[in-house]
Amino acid sequence: MAEVKEAGAQRAARIGLPAIFAAFFRLGITSFGGGTAGWLYREIVERRRWIDDSQFLSGASLGRLVPGSSGVNLTVQVGQILRGSAGAVVATLGLLSGPLVAVLALAAGYTRLGKSTGMDAVFDGVAAAAIGLTFATGLKLVQFSAASAGPLAITLATVLCVGVLRWPMIPVVLCLAPISIGLALVKRTGS
Amino acid sequence: MLDDTRALLGLALVFVPLSLLSIGGGASLLAEIEHQSVTVHGWTTQREFADLFAISRAAPGPGTMLSTLIGWKVAGLTGALTATIALYLPSSLLVYGAARLWGRWRGSVWHTVIERGLAPIAAGLILAGGIAVLRVSPGGSAVWVAAVVATALILCRPRLHPLVLFAAGGALFGLADVIGLW
Repeated sequence: MAEVKEAGAQRAARIGLPAIFAAFFRLGITSFGGGTAGWLYREIVERRRWIDDSQFLSGASLGRLVPGSSGVNLTVQVGQILRGSAGAVVATLGLLSGPLVAVLALAAGYTRLGKSTGMDAVFDGVAAAAIGLTFATGLKLVQFSAASAGPLAITLATVLCVGVLRWPMIPVVLCLAPISIGLALVKRTGS
Repeated sequence: MLDDTRALLGLALVFVPLSLLSIGGGASLLAEIEHQSVTVHGWTTQREFADLFAISRAAPGPGTMLSTLIGWKVAGLTGALTATIALYLPSSLLVYGAARLWGRWRGSVWHTVIERGLAPIAAGLILAGGIAVLRVSPGGSAVWVAAVVATALILCRPRLHPLVLFAAGGALFGLADVIGLW
């Protein structure tokens, strides 16, 4: 594990700021329908291997527990892992600059052309695919993080309480986290 | 000039607090942004707000580009930049500080155990996030079916680029709307 982390750090040291900007710019302009975490996992973890699954999950959990957009929060953390504060700034600017221009261009075009009724249906279709990407990412991460019965039950309980029953996230996490951390501790001392 | 400054200040005063209150992601913000823009400040009418929301859905990016559009409506390009920075900067600084603090303990036993313990919860939250977006999506049951099909395709065909699916989904739903399928 320590060796893996070291190798990761060495790889990270070679990634330049322009490369970080370019990667997150790509992420920003492709993440339609709000599936930023799914795209980030695909581009940064699976394709480029800049961070590993456990770093991604750690960033994803912190990113959701503090206020703000979870996609932006994850980006800030990945940038910070890769190149410290400069990395965080560059990654976030990369992520947001494309969508900023795109949304203003769309708004300008929209006021000129007027509302086209079919567009809502098109957005629904794109959103459905984006949700598919989110689900697929979540399921891959379940395979990684919840390989045994205990963690799997924790994942299912999270989905049930937050997703299905719509209980507020923070209290649910505050209840499940000590159990899950306890399980991880037992497993560690047991092995 | 004074009016401009006042407008920008007004945007910052609305979006900075929202930045720090928006736990659980951008979707939880929508109702409050609407209340502030339409009722409190009169920046947009109800109708304009609905239009801006529709545009923000069409744009790529991490969810809440709606604030950018409201800023643009209030004070042009400087307004757009002010609202975007006001919404994203405070929460970004907070998560940056928290991540640095957390990273300081990397390598310790507790750090590893807590990270392992939080991993299955994080995976669950990502899945729950997908369900939440599905629930607010106005497209109805067809969107649910399409989302499940897209999930299966992405998992079973790793070579397939998601953008192809995005385009296919948009085209399919657009076509169904034109034909009047639903």
